[in-house]
Amino acid sequence: MHDVTYHAPTSLAEALRLLGNDPAHTRPLAGGTDLHLQMERGGNAWRHVVDLKRIAELAGIARNPDGGYTIGALTLAAEVESHVDLAADYPALAQGAACIGGPPIRNRATLGGNVCNASPAADSSPPLLALGARAVVAGAEGTRELPLADLWRGPRQTTLAPGELLTALRLPPPPVRGGSAFTRLTRSAMDIALVNAAAQVALDAQGHIAQAALALGAVAPVVLLVPQAAEAVRGRAWSAELAAEVARLASAAAQPIDDIRASADYRREMAGVLAARAMAQAVERARAAGGVATAGTSGAAGKSDKAGATGKATARQRPGRRGAP
Amino acid sequence: MKQPLRLTVNGQPTEALVSPGTSLLTFLRETCGLTGPKRGCEEGECGCCAVLLDGKLVDSCLIFALEAEGAEVLTVEGLRGDAAGRPDHLAPVQQAFAEAGASQCGFCMPGMLLATASLLERNPAPGDDEIRRAISGNLCRCTGYTPIVKAIRLAAALKRQG
Ligand code: FES
Ligand code: FES
Repeated sequence: MHDVTYHAPTSLAEALRLLGNDPAHTRPLAGGTDLHLQMERGGNAWRHVVDLKRIAELAGIARNPDGGYTIGALTLAAEVESHVDLAADYPALAQGAACIGGPPIRNRATLGGNVCNASPAADSSPPLLALGARAVVAGAEGTRELPLADLWRGPRQTTLAPGELLTALRLPPPPVRGGSAFTRLTRSAMDIALVNAAAQVALDAQGHIAQAALALGAVAPVVLLVPQAAEAVRGRAWSAELAAEVARLASAAAQPIDDIRASADYRREMAGVLAARAMAQAVERARAAGGVATAGTSGAAGKSDKAGATGKATARQRPGRRGAP
Repeated sequence: MKQPLRLTVNGQPTEALVSPGTSLLTFLRETCGLTGPKRGCEEGECGCCAVLLDGKLVDSCLIFALEAEGAEVLTVEGLRGDAAGRPDHLAPVQQAFAEAGASQCGFCMPGMLLATASLLERNPAPGDDEIRRAISGNLCRCTGYTPIVKAIRLAAALKRQG
């Protein structure tokens, strides 16, 4: 640790130059809430830390001309959580961001950091994936844009080349009659997710599902899209049977591991439960957004809402071992 | 190699040479002699080390001191003075915690007080749900939180009275 040099560039060009000097030994620093622990635990060969927080162009949430959003990689989780327009258009992302640690963490942790840390359990990742986010990456050669799923190689590994930086996440415009939701299972509010899931749906004028996306976290080496579930619900009305099918397909897509937090079997089972809840709540929100009547078809959604489909509800209903009340 | 750092700590302009690996927590405790921020977990779990950095509640154990260049840091030592401006009196937030009997061992108190101060800055009349959310990054091993929530309600009332 003694031979590390701290740099705080104020422009992206300067940051890329610093990263390019000695890529193997240079670590970009965003919020630092993960990096600090990695430094403490040692085993790294970092000689330079490049703090990105002074680069104004990397922060902030902007509305694109097409109605989508560009979220700077250095935007705080707390800002994502509380951005009024973003939360209205993409509630799944606001819910996910609100689950990253406690307030002191969310005042420091960044969206780009959460993505680049590449934890399969990261709470912003299933929402971003289900919402169709793209990653904007800058390097010495210029800028490229890729689907977010292509940014992750494995647990804690990205496909970023040495010297490259994630600069922003780009969200498409929210669909008409659309809704999204995030669900999560933990022992306590501050704990890492055992399983998490996010869904987005768009309804047609009849209230049938025109298009859907489902993403699962903490059940595979990387956060997963479940295209089989998206396929299965297309063109159909939401119902208890459909919820059961989504659950079955999500469980089948999961490839979880046994670890200290939960067994693989339990995770597989819960992946189905959370997937169905996320989808039910997304449908509910899409109906509210599109003014589609809920009478007669609200069974599945209503039930799962009682079971606590909102992100933090789990934590609130089940005060954990260590979480605040 | 040590690098220069300039910041404001509890209103006091401060300059020092620090090693890049030094956390803000260590800097505050060992260089500034401010032992209000506590070394609990050093992993961002407990919030005992929490300070306000440019008005935002953060865990000082997860920040390099050098990241605070140019910033204003407030530790619990800087929380003083009553509404009438008497510096040797407790701040309303502290008064409320004392009156409500919200502290047992006291280890979590610096973080709890700053979490409260930052909450009341944003929201002068928080509901219990908002109060609980605001302290969800601060662990207390003693009180069971109920007296703390009560204290925060009282602090809000005291602050509104001015
Ligand atoms: S000591 Fe910093 S969060 Fe516990
Ligand atoms: S009073 Fe002892 S930890 Fe809170």
